[in-house]
This record gives sequence, structure tokens and C-alpha cells, in this order.
Amino acid sequence: MKNFKIYLIAGLLFLAACKPEVHNPAPTKGRADFTRFIAVGNSLTAGYSNGGLYLAGQLNSYPSIMAKQMLAVGGGTFNQPLFATGQENGSGYLKLTGFDASGNPITAPVTTDLAIRGILPVPGFGNVTLYTKYTGDIENYGVPGIKLLNITYAPYGNLNGFFERMLPGDAPTNTTDYLDFVTAKSFTFFSDWLGNNDALAYATGGGVGDVLTDKNTFAELYELSIEKLTASGQKGVVATIPDVTSIPYFNTVTVGAILAAVQAKNPAAKALYVNALVSGTTYAPRIATANDLIILTFPTSMIGTLVTTPYGPQPYGLTPVTPIDNQYVLDANEVALTRDYVQSYNTTIKSIAAQKGLAVFDAYTYLNNVKANGLVVDGISLNSSYISGGLFSLDGVHLTPRGYSIIANEFIKAINSTYGSSIPLANVAAYPGLTFP
Amino acid sequence: MKKILLLVLALIPVISFAQGFQVNLEGQKQIGMGHTGTGLLQDGASVFFNPGAVVMLPDNYIQAGISPLMFRSVFNPMGTNVQDHVENKVATPFNFYAAVGPKNGWWKLGMAVYTPFGGLTDWGDSWAGKYTLESLDLKAIYFQPTLSIKLTDYLSIGGGFVYNRGIVDLTEAIPLTNSAGQDGQAELKGSGKGYGWNAGIFIKTESGITVGITHRSGVSTTINNGNAIFNVPSSLQSSFPQPNSFKATIPLPSTTSIGFGFYPTERWTLALDANLVGWDVYKALAFDYKINTPQLQDSYSARNYQDAISVRAGAQYKACNNLFIRFGGGFAGTAVQDGYVTAEAPDAPRQFVTCGLGYKLASRLDLDVSFEYEHVDARTQTNIQSQLAGTFETNVYIPGLSLAYHW
Repeated sequence: MKNFKIYLIAGLLFLAACKPEVHNPAPTKGRADFTRFIAVGNSLTAGYSNGGLYLAGQLNSYPSIMAKQMLAVGGGTFNQPLFATGQENGSGYLKLTGFDASGNPITAPVTTDLAIRGILPVPGFGNVTLYTKYTGDIENYGVPGIKLLNITYAPYGNLNGFFERMLPGDAPTNTTDYLDFVTAKSFTFFSDWLGNNDALAYATGGGVGDVLTDKNTFAELYELSIEKLTASGQKGVVATIPDVTSIPYFNTVTVGAILAAVQAKNPAAKALYVNALVSGTTYAPRIATANDLIILTFPTSMIGTLVTTPYGPQPYGLTPVTPIDNQYVLDANEVALTRDYVQSYNTTIKSIAAQKGLAVFDAYTYLNNVKANGLVVDGISLNSSYISGGLFSLDGVHLTPRGYSIIANEFIKAINSTYGSSIPLANVAAYPGLTFP
Repeated sequence: MKKILLLVLALIPVISFAQGFQVNLEGQKQIGMGHTGTGLLQDGASVFFNPGAVVMLPDNYIQAGISPLMFRSVFNPMGTNVQDHVENKVATPFNFYAAVGPKNGWWKLGMAVYTPFGGLTDWGDSWAGKYTLESLDLKAIYFQPTLSIKLTDYLSIGGGFVYNRGIVDLTEAIPLTNSAGQDGQAELKGSGKGYGWNAGIFIKTESGITVGITHRSGVSTTINNGNAIFNVPSSLQSSFPQPNSFKATIPLPSTTSIGFGFYPTERWTLALDANLVGWDVYKALAFDYKINTPQLQDSYSARNYQDAISVRAGAQYKACNNLFIRFGGGFAGTAVQDGYVTAEAPDAPRQFVTCGLGYKLASRLDLDVSFEYEHVDARTQTNIQSQLAGTFETNVYIPGLSLAYHW
């Protein structure tokens, strides 16, 4: 019996030796401390995807992926304000239901198992959708829709339902501003990806209905927020703001494609017309060019429908008196304006991060590179195209879980190179892309 | 008017070959001695090792052997501590030989069936490189009728014709997720054939040293009508029409060898072999699908392999009249340049040691056992095509057993 045991142990040792192992140094936290990691930001940080915030998206948010990897270097629990089972579809979202005969995607909104608790009319602002409250601990403070401009505005907790659900009080009684809320409890490390909406809200609205945050205001608020986030010597990582034109929301429905479709039916059609920015706030109709970006949600069926004008009924989008409405087009001048602001914001972000010695993920450069060259990761070919690209979700702005895992890895690389840590990278292949029926 | 092109560029299943696919397990006596035998007269395995030597065998042989092979690979994705292991599977390379002719005559006829190339790797469907490969089962079975002729008492030649039957079954994940959260999958499955030849010279020198020189030709193997099975979400199935088939040609490389046998005492046999494997023929691999769609294009991928050498040495000690003790070893270079290493057979320079025992069960019946341990060096690189970055390392364990009847 004794001998038998020895043989068994020897045999097991031999079998264990059969499997090779690649030995690496153990991961280290370097000069950073990941005990309590908090994520500050907007919809991208919250895990917003396919036009909504819902449980499956939250579970694949880039900060939650980062936190999972940080566990190897002393990271703690990472709580997110998750939607509960039964209300897991949160705000509702878009689902791909198939493709029509010409290969265009058909989407449908998901309207069941939502977490909507009511609609609050706010005088002078509009209706605010309120969601079921979340009462547990929070490490992911991502609030869809928030701008840097909003972070010190005390009543903001009454105007944004996603923020309101994190706060103890009910709208319209909230008076805690976002910056105070996220810094109330001590933390050791932070990620900060705020500022996208300061430009994006203007751009996605075709330059109508929203304004770009003033450059100086942006710089002041950015400095203030970083001062507060680093007040106890915390380390962190910040990200720059992507070029709005690097996302499929502005690159899928193109002037060329619309015109080609029109000319297929009516070869006499010469051009599309848009109502474009001349200067300041002056708009005038002109012929559309490839530099004018049509938004993803533009109902292309409007093109050519007859519109009543002083000159009689005219086809929509095809004459100077019936140009495509401003709200559907980020025209060339608006693109230039947005770019100028984004570049200024990014200069601010990089210079303040440099002063504080923070890690920087340059999302602007990264996503422009992906747009120009595509990306191959672990045998997966990805690019910035709508649906086929694999990175962006159905809303054309936010990412798929696979896209978020790539972003998480870029944040991790920035942290590792700045703080001498070796947080292991996430396995991109384990995170799904878009879901197809 | 939204132009949607579902380009899935990663969808290019590619079988790649490397030194790792050459299976040097063609006779148990020879494996025991580091897989040497080009310059020796051991048994019927000479049909493979050196057709020129067959006629010099003192006996006629009929024999068969099997070498269960355990290929244990690990992949460590760059920047992580993850260890992705292959499943524990056992491949079964085998050899069969017959060598028959008049006793001490001027000719002998030989027949060989053996597996000079093959691979069995199953990485599973959850490892980092699943979009490059999930599993591969590949076998090349060579059938080789051979004629060996004695020109003088110290010089003989021989040659054989090779018919190869190649069988492949490869799966990989497709990065298209269905509503249940599962990946798509591609499976390429088929068999094909190829032809080649081999030839050898065997010399007994005056000093007593024996010398063998052989060339086994490359065998270009074509799979003409393999099944191309694509399992994708139903809304995309029309882009991957079923049923579909593929055609691919795989150039299995040539091997040129020189081997020496030394006999310092009556009890000792020493052997030295050097092989040059002509991997240089393997420039690229192309897949031609019968039905193409904008999403499923024929593929062409560069391989740019280089010729590789291996050097082997072994010894046999005749302990008594019916017991032989053997040991040996060697090393092999890699055919694969940095940037081209793939999961099918993660190639790198390798070293191996072998040992074996031969026992005469009866005057005409030999039982031989062998064991080989092979270590394929850890190799860290980023694949140019897939961008899969990390470190591969492999251990191979190969016990073996054969019976030879001779008269």
C-alpha cells in the first residue's frame, strides 16, 4: 500500500510535469494603489451600449473590465449601480432583428423589463425620465449624458435620471453636485473620462439645440475636478476626447450614398442640398459635399418627398429651398468648429494630466488610428464601420463589449507604463461583439 | 441607403505547417537511438530511412509499430499570466514495413506505410486565440513501394514511389455572436492526395563505417473537394452559403539526409544523422472556396518558411544476445520565422532525448520499446496576420512499441 502511494505520487508528479507553464514575474501594482478604484465619466464609463443603459452592458463596462484585471494587483471590490433582475433592460435599448433585402439592418427597441419609475416634468427644462433607485455601494460613477460642464451644478441630480438613481434623495430635491458625490468617500485610484458630451451633444444634434462648452470653462472645470480627485495624492488615469468624426454615427449615411440612391431612380438629380453654417449662427442652403456628415438616424426616406414652398411643392433635400434640415447634418464648418473645440479640450486634458503626473489614454489618437487603419486583435479584424466593424454598437457612438474590452486594455497599458505596474490585460476574445439574430 | 458590408476579414481559416508537423517516429529501434538510421542496417524501417540499405539487410522483415504521441502546448497571452493549455489528446503515428527478397540476393522489394506528417491539437473554444484555431487533426499517411538493388558488396541503391493520403479537420471560431452569446464556427474537413518519391545510397566503407545518403521528395498534397462548414447566426448565413467546399494545396517538404554508422566494439553501434528539411517550398497557403460571397473570399496568406536542419545521434549497446539498450538525442532548428508562428504547431527550436530497449522474444521476433521526450523552446512573438501575441511552449512525450518478424 505504501509503495502504491509512492507510485501514485510519482505518477501524478510526472503528469503535472507533462504540462509546460510559461513563467512570468507576478503582477505588481507599481507605484499605484488600486484598493478602491473609482470610475468617473459619462455613458461610455457606465457601459452604455446599443442606445441604452442595461444590465448586460453595465457588466461589460470598461471600468468593470479594468477592475477585474486589477484584482491581480490588489484591486478591491468594484460595485456598479446595476439594474436589478426583472428590470435588467434598464432604459431600454436597440436590438438587431435582421437585415432587409438590400442588406440594411433592421432594429427594434427593447421595451420590456425596464427600470423606469416615472417621468418628471421640470419647468424650463423638459421631461426627466426617472429610474429605479440604486442604493448599494458605487465604484462606477459613469452617468450617461453628463458633461464636464455639469459636474459642479448642484441641481443636476434632478435633471439627469441616471445620476438621480444613484442619489439618496428623489428629484426635484437633490442638491449634491456630481463632483462632490463621487469624491465623498475616500478612494485610492481613479479613471476620468469626462468631456465627450461637451462636444458630442452639439455634434449629434447636427449643431442645433446644444452648444459646445466654452474652452476656458472646460479648462477651469477640468483643473478643478482633477484637483479634487487628486486631493489626497490619489493616482489615476484620464482619457482624451475622441474626434467626433471617428465614430460611425457620422460616417455611415453619407452624402455620396444618398445621392447615388437618388440618381439610381432619377438620373437627372444633380446634387443634395443642406442647410449649412456660414459663420457665427448664420445658416444658408448650399450643395452638400462629402465633408458634410449626415447623422446615422437621418430618415433617408424623407429625401425627395414633396415639401410645400413659396415656389410650389419641391422635393426634400434636392433643391436650395428644401435643403436637408440642419439637425440631420454636421456640415463642414460645424465639423471644423467641433474639431477645434475637441483639440482644445484635449490640450487641456493632457497638460493638466502632465502637471499631476497622471496616466493618459489618448483616445483621440487611438480611435483616429483605428478609423484610418482598422485593428486586428487575436485574429479578430475590427474597424470603425457601423455593424460590420465589430467595435461600435447599434447606436453608432457607444461600443460593444469587445470594443469596451479593447478600451479597458488601452487604459491598463497607460496605467502600467506610467506607474510601473503590471496589471494583466483582459482577453479581448472572451468579450462578444454585436449580437446577430 | 445605409451601405452595410459585413466584412469579416478574420474569417480566413488557415492550416499552417511547420517543423512541428513533421513526425519523426518511423521505427522503434531508430527512435531509441535518437531517430537515426540513414547509415545503419537495423530492420525493415530502412525502407523509410534509406531505401538503398534495404537490400543489405541480412534478413527479410515484416514489422509494425505505434508511437502514441502526447503534444502538450501552452500559450501565455502577452501581458497576462493566463496559461491556455491544449486538451490532453493522444495522436497515434504508426509504421508498417515489409522488406522481402532472396537471401543475400542482389535485390529486395519493400513496402512501407507510415505517417511522416501529422498533428493533433485541441485548444478549445475559450482560449485567447480561438479565432485563429480551435482544433486541428491532421494526418498524412505515406504508402511507399520500394526496390533496392545491390551494385557491389559495399554499395547499394534503392528508390521508392510515394502515394500520400492527407486527412485534415480544422475548426476555428468566427467572431460573429448569435443571440445565445455563442461564436460562429468554421470547420474545414477533407482528404486529398499527393505523389512523391524517395531514393537512397548505402555504402560500407573499408574502415567499417557505414554511410547512407537519402532524399525524400516533397509531396504536394491537394485537397480538391473538402467540406467548408460555416456555422454563423442565421441572419448572416446567406453570406456563408452551405453546403460549400474548398480546394487547397499543401506542399509537404522534402528531406535530404546523410547518416553514419560506427561500430567501435562488437557490442556498440553509434549513429549520426543530419537532415535538411526543404520547408522553403512553403511560401504561402491559399484556400479556394467553391462559392464565394463578398464576406467569404478566397484566401492567400504568406508563410515564407525557411529550410531547417536537424542533427541526431544515438547509440545501441548489446547487453547480451537478446537484449539491446539504446539512447540518443538531437536538436532541430525552426522553419518558421518570427511573426509566422501559429497555434497549429507552435514551432521553435527543439531538443529531444530518447531511449529504448530491444528484446529478442524469439530468434526471429524482436520486441522494441522506445520513449522520446521533446522540448520545443518557449517562443514569444506577435503573429503578423492575426496579431495574436504571446508565448508558446511545448513538451512532447512519445512512448512507442513495435514487433518485427524476420527470417
